[in-house]
Amino acid sequence: MKYNYADGKLTIFLQEEIDMNSCRILRGIIDGYIMKYQPYELVLDLSEVKFMDSSGIGLILGRYNLIKLLDSKMTIINASNSIRRLIELSNIKLECVQHE
Amino acid sequence: MNENYIKIESKSRIENIAAIRVAITSFLSTLNIHFDELMDIKTALSEAVTNAIDHGYDEEDKEGKIIVESYIYDYEKVIIKIIDYGKGIEDINLAMTPAYTSKPETEHAGMGFTIMESFMDEVIIDSKVNEGTIITLTKTIRKKKSGK
Repeated sequence: MKYNYADGKLTIFLQEEIDMNSCRILRGIIDGYIMKYQPYELVLDLSEVKFMDSSGIGLILGRYNLIKLLDSKMTIINASNSIRRLIELSNIKLECVQHE
Repeated sequence: MNENYIKIESKSRIENIAAIRVAITSFLSTLNIHFDELMDIKTALSEAVTNAIDHGYDEEDKEGKIIVESYIYDYEKVIIKIIDYGKGIEDINLAMTPAYTSKPETEHAGMGFTIMESFMDEVIIDSKVNEGTIITLTKTIRKKKSGK
């Protein structure tokens, strides 16, 4: 997992497969960066994610709740068709999913 | 009727989910199947296997057993059975309710069954408390790759 922080914006580049196993590790790492930088915006870049199941939805929701506590905003970019369908199915009011 | 199948037996460990998912998806990729449809099956399978491992057995029970059987009939009908010998589901209707999770403290989305039902043609749950659960996922392949 790569990340970039600049001007109050924290971008997390998620990679490979996001399932229950990888979420266990990712959760702590991402929250660590959020607490360290306290960004005004969190961007989750999914362009390199090859697979995601509902564990990934849980991961997104959890980070969204944390970001809301900081009064910041969250954006999801570059979600594949499959992942976008999964997000839509989850009925998450993610106004933050960017459509290209 | 032409039948082909593959069976996988695994310990109920979270780190095995990816291996099961990749093996079954690889088996199904021999079909004349569209990538998106293969991804749908892969996602539904991942939900079922995750449920079996995470809910079928207690976290400290690393000796639990998961069996995944995948059948292909006439090169178009896919049936996947996910079998565990764990705790079973007490209230199936509740378990299938969208956004319901028996483990709210763990950040689960509670979307497993909703995803299985949306991405597959049929989901059958056969569960007995303290005996285990069999999830049967069925899908007939519709989209074909172009040029074949």
